[in-house]
Amino acid sequence: MTRLILRRLLVSVLVLWVVSLLVFVATLLLPGDPARAILGQQATPERVAALQHQLHLDLPVWQRYLDWLGGLFTGDLGTSTSTQGPVTALLGDRISASLVLLVVAAVLATPVGLGLGTWSSIRRDRAADQVVSGISLVIAALPEFVIGVALVVLLSTTVFKIFPSVTITAPGEAVWDEPAQLVLPVLTLVLVVTPYITRMMRATMNEVLDSGYVEMARLKGVRERTVLVRHALPHAIGPVAQVVALQLAWLAGGVVVVEFLFRYPGIGQALIDAVGKRDVAVVQAITLLIAAVYIVVNLLADVVGILANPKLRTEAGR
Amino acid sequence: MEERCRPFTRRRFLGVTGVTGVALLAAGCGTTYAAPVPTGPPRSGGTLRVGVTGGGASDTLDPHTPATNPDIARVINLYEPLLNRDHDYQLQFLVAQSLTSSPDARTWTAVLRDGVKFHDGRPVTPADVVATFKRIMDPKDPKSGAAGLTMLAEVAPSGSRAVEFRLNSPNAGFDDLLGQYSLGIVPADFDVKRPIGTGPFKAGSFTVGQQSTFTRNEHYWRPGQPYLDELVLINFADDDARINALLSSQVDAIDQVPVALVDVLRSDPRIEVLTAETGTWLPFTMRVDRPPFDDVRVRQAMRLVVDREQMINQVLSGQGRLGNDLYAPFDPAYAKELPQRKQDVETARQLLAAAGHSTLDVELVTAPIQAGAVEAAQVFQQQAKAAGINVRIRKLDTTTFYGENYLSWDFAQDFWYTRNYLPQVASGTLPKAPYNETHWQDPEFVDLVTRAGSTVDPAARTDLLKQAQKIEYERGGLIVWGFVNQVDAHQKYVAGLVPDRTGISLSGYQFRNAWLSRDEGGVR
Repeated sequence: MTRLILRRLLVSVLVLWVVSLLVFVATLLLPGDPARAILGQQATPERVAALQHQLHLDLPVWQRYLDWLGGLFTGDLGTSTSTQGPVTALLGDRISASLVLLVVAAVLATPVGLGLGTWSSIRRDRAADQVVSGISLVIAALPEFVIGVALVVLLSTTVFKIFPSVTITAPGEAVWDEPAQLVLPVLTLVLVVTPYITRMMRATMNEVLDSGYVEMARLKGVRERTVLVRHALPHAIGPVAQVVALQLAWLAGGVVVVEFLFRYPGIGQALIDAVGKRDVAVVQAITLLIAAVYIVVNLLADVVGILANPKLRTEAGR
Repeated sequence: MEERCRPFTRRRFLGVTGVTGVALLAAGCGTTYAAPVPTGPPRSGGTLRVGVTGGGASDTLDPHTPATNPDIARVINLYEPLLNRDHDYQLQFLVAQSLTSSPDARTWTAVLRDGVKFHDGRPVTPADVVATFKRIMDPKDPKSGAAGLTMLAEVAPSGSRAVEFRLNSPNAGFDDLLGQYSLGIVPADFDVKRPIGTGPFKAGSFTVGQQSTFTRNEHYWRPGQPYLDELVLINFADDDARINALLSSQVDAIDQVPVALVDVLRSDPRIEVLTAETGTWLPFTMRVDRPPFDDVRVRQAMRLVVDREQMINQVLSGQGRLGNDLYAPFDPAYAKELPQRKQDVETARQLLAAAGHSTLDVELVTAPIQAGAVEAAQVFQQQAKAAGINVRIRKLDTTTFYGENYLSWDFAQDFWYTRNYLPQVASGTLPKAPYNETHWQDPEFVDLVTRAGSTVDPAARTDLLKQAQKIEYERGGLIVWGFVNQVDAHQKYVAGLVPDRTGISLSGYQFRNAWLSRDEGGVR
């Protein structure tokens, strides 16, 4: 088990390095350079040259990459060409802001999805199941920005004016100092993620509840509650953990759109700005972060899958 | 206002985005009553929160390198140049109380206004002005304003209250060149970490890419102003987020309302839409030194295929005025007498045939450099078809557009805020101009403009400028189809914001005039 995790982590480092190389090359291939992007319409040759020198853009490409990679080992994520300061200073608050969004959304979406899926499965083909299935299908079919926009119209600007539509934090204040501002972005993410978990949980539970060992337990006269908790759920958790992991990993990337829509000061907003300004170091840091979340969450899902499956558990233990 | 409950047609519905389309349905027929428009004398106090388009990680408080809208808004409220353009596009004196030219237009003398103090209470001295221009013209790190002041040889103090600007070549319009927001006067010991100027507001907190706050400058020289205690400028990258923030009262004013959404906001009784006629233009630029546009007949044909009325209706939803392939509409020398050019497909075809083109294939490079730019390219593509011109649109992102190939596209677009004729020529239509996107170097034109630049007599100068405009009208490389209205919006309780001709949003971002008629404005 430990060996498996270690091997996976080692491979992950390799994957992250390849990601960093790809992102670096891709950002370089985009036409336009940071100096021109910052100066915009006022990019006279003299000003571009002065700024390029200031930003070390006149150094060869490979040297810029190696400088960046070398800095990585000392915990230095490089220098942002836009702020001309360290990337860590630019991203520090934003990472925690995005994490809050992710964690709150995940903590709400996962139990709700699991619960709804189980409940739906127990009442299979009854009215409640039909309603849950129908609604989750409709919501799952909507892209996140449509859900976000609909929520703004419904809860912020037009029908009910309850929650703020954008996040505005005073300097020195954290996003969670005004929890009302978190409601709409979190709700959007929850609505995007929950339907998938619900549907997967329902399908898996249906399968498990139809299986021989559940029938056996019922025939033995085990209470339905015990059948569900002791026999059915552990079998359903493994496959569902994969879906939950995929959804959580999606959240890490999906925040980009949601943050843009709600003007949420997280990494998504920073990423859009950094791509526009060709700010390689910031793009690198954020993509690596998102990739790392992907890897870690998937690894966790595999571990849960192994722990929930006795067969795999003993194999991995050997 | 009668339009408020007008039935929705499919076309109108498609014209607005999902959000606000629904918002119009609901808000347009709501039962809330219009808030009263504030009247009476200005009230002091309160906080004004303004949503400003754009900005990002390269946000700055530097007085001399504003690049984005939030930068410009900060610079205008923190700093003041010697003079600038008022809401009617007339020169008004700020840090200077007068600016006079020598008879040969080679030396200009600015007398500083008495009682103008920096934010820390120190009076402005000629040494500060000299240091300011040294900072702007620094050859190692030239600032935005340097490109427009190439004729400036030396800035020197003249007595205790005046500064002399000595020029390499005579320039009768030098006052106009000094009247730029990016030429704010700062103290000689200026450091951007301690951003001090003479503007109506002092710098408070500043979070790059997010927001900046400003407090009232108690040393401001205009009596009574500013009225606000605090000003908060908030960056918005997304149009929908900005409009939603206004509708949910999280901000008091926003700049740059997308024209398709003007009706939506007008239908909300709490909101006032502020429309200003400006001299902002979004030209198509044809390189006169590259085929096929090196043939004047092709250029004139391209100008004749444009249906300018349709362009303004479709691209700007009617929020604009007709253009006549000329710029600087507020210049006293603007050539109003030249006949308005109209769509004439027949003549365009004849011109193209005479130039040897039975059909013409051109590539138009466009980017969302300004609201309406890409739409204008698409409308042009449709209109040009009628004359057998096949326009291929190459859409880029803004950074690529302004990348290495900026100023060398054969056929592209650009946008300019209001300028008078000579400053615009110096920026965009002289061989040495920094942004000569059409590569225009007509010798006759250059001669007329050079002579006008050194002609102090207004009548004689106007005559020369009209001749120069006639040349551009007859053979220039710009298609100027219209002048764009600036459309902003604010809550009705915000007073003191007026239409501004400069093309800069929200009363030219001059929040010294703004005041709040209700106490809600200050509530966070």
